[in-house]
Amino acid sequence: MIHQEAFEWYIAVYLFLAGVGAGSMVVAAVADMYDREKYISFIKAASFIGMPLVSLGIFFLYIDLGQGMWKPWLLIFLFVNPTSAIAWGTGILTIFTILSGIYAAHNLGYIKVGCKRCLCWALIVTGICTAGYTAVLLGVLKAIPFWHQTSLPILFIISATSTGISGAMIVKMTILKSDANIKPIETAHLYLLVLEIIALIGIVLIALQGVPEMQYSIKQLLVGDSAFAFWVFLVLAGLIIPAIAFGMHEAGKLHLNVKSVVALEALVLVGGYFLRHLIIHAGVYTQKFTEYIVR
Amino acid sequence: MNKKYAMAYVVDRCIDCKACMVACKAEWEVPEDHFRTHIDQGMKEDFHGKTRMDFLPSQCNHCDDAPCVTVCPTKASHKRDDGIVYVNRNRCVGCKYCIPSCPYEARFFNHDLGVAEKCTFCLPRLAEGLEPACATTCPGNVRVFGDINDPTSEISMVLREAKNNRLKIYKLREDLGTKPNIYYIQN
Repeated sequence: MIHQEAFEWYIAVYLFLAGVGAGSMVVAAVADMYDREKYISFIKAASFIGMPLVSLGIFFLYIDLGQGMWKPWLLIFLFVNPTSAIAWGTGILTIFTILSGIYAAHNLGYIKVGCKRCLCWALIVTGICTAGYTAVLLGVLKAIPFWHQTSLPILFIISATSTGISGAMIVKMTILKSDANIKPIETAHLYLLVLEIIALIGIVLIALQGVPEMQYSIKQLLVGDSAFAFWVFLVLAGLIIPAIAFGMHEAGKLHLNVKSVVALEALVLVGGYFLRHLIIHAGVYTQKFTEYIVR
Repeated sequence: MNKKYAMAYVVDRCIDCKACMVACKAEWEVPEDHFRTHIDQGMKEDFHGKTRMDFLPSQCNHCDDAPCVTVCPTKASHKRDDGIVYVNRNRCVGCKYCIPSCPYEARFFNHDLGVAEKCTFCLPRLAEGLEPACATTCPGNVRVFGDINDPTSEISMVLREAKNNRLKIYKLREDLGTKPNIYYIQN
């Protein structure tokens, strides 16, 4: 099996940051429409990270470019092919970055937006598209069977929303130093983590029964070279420990102080990054000489 | 009718000398750690249970429905009227997206130029009336190049003869819908 080497950690960082930024803004927009007064601390925290993280992600994509980095005028061509997922992403990211910038400026008191409800809906739609696009980018490539599955966008959207909440929670608790009660968002975060675990188990089971290339990829994660990072950083630190801690906190059996919540949210972010890093690195090309495949 | 360039490999003639790889590299100053064409080794058992080894050349398949052309955001990768899938270096931003899109692993990233690179069927040589360097160099005449739309071209005659002799003619991963234009002829 031949590993793809074109996409490296730069792209994983890009997918991760775009996911965190988009996820935080989607949750903030939903909370805004539900009860702005109650969730204002979270909305402001998300406004601090939404656009900057997506922009930072795009910067990582930019520095990963070859010729485009020193000939930036070529970037205008990124829109020209309607069949390319990168062209879709360029459009989606452009719109989302502008909208999240306007929304952040509104929340931080720099401007006043007329139809805020319209803006929130636009942010929800473009935010979900941004989070989903980061997986569609990989998913449309049928040459890499492990990426070419519809469950990937679902997993990435769940993970983006979860890591988005984590990013905003960290800002809320450390920079804004707010202890406002936003329990429904905390509960939603717990459910998202559980959903992410279920989606990940689904991907593992499907890949184990998939074509030889998919089996090879998933075995790389479960028992191969990436097993340590998969089990420790993604499964244990990124999903299981936060899910158990938040679950016990939800049930009233564990008290979490500010430091522990920030540490747990940071673990979710670590898991979110490794999810993308590991999926990118587990990608192997489909076999071209199928007659000669040896399992 | 337009020209449509294609290549056929008479696989059983390949002795894995790799002269094609060297010729291509020398002709186009391909970066040190990459090749535009490869020779793979395939092992399988025949009907009698004996292990058989085949030497399997590969390169860009110049697909009619090329995934690299579909995913290229800038249209730097495009399909020419003569069938060649070509990368316009002046337009390529170096996003690398075409590289993992190719099921034939035919593309790589040229770090010196910051662009994606692959076989062009030696387009500048064709303009001079020459054949691709790999086909010219191959000592076993494994590689047969030409216009598949011209019934008198060498490739058309080789494929017709192979069909008449009931040899196995196949292309790689046609199940993916890429419509490749490299033919493999085997006994």
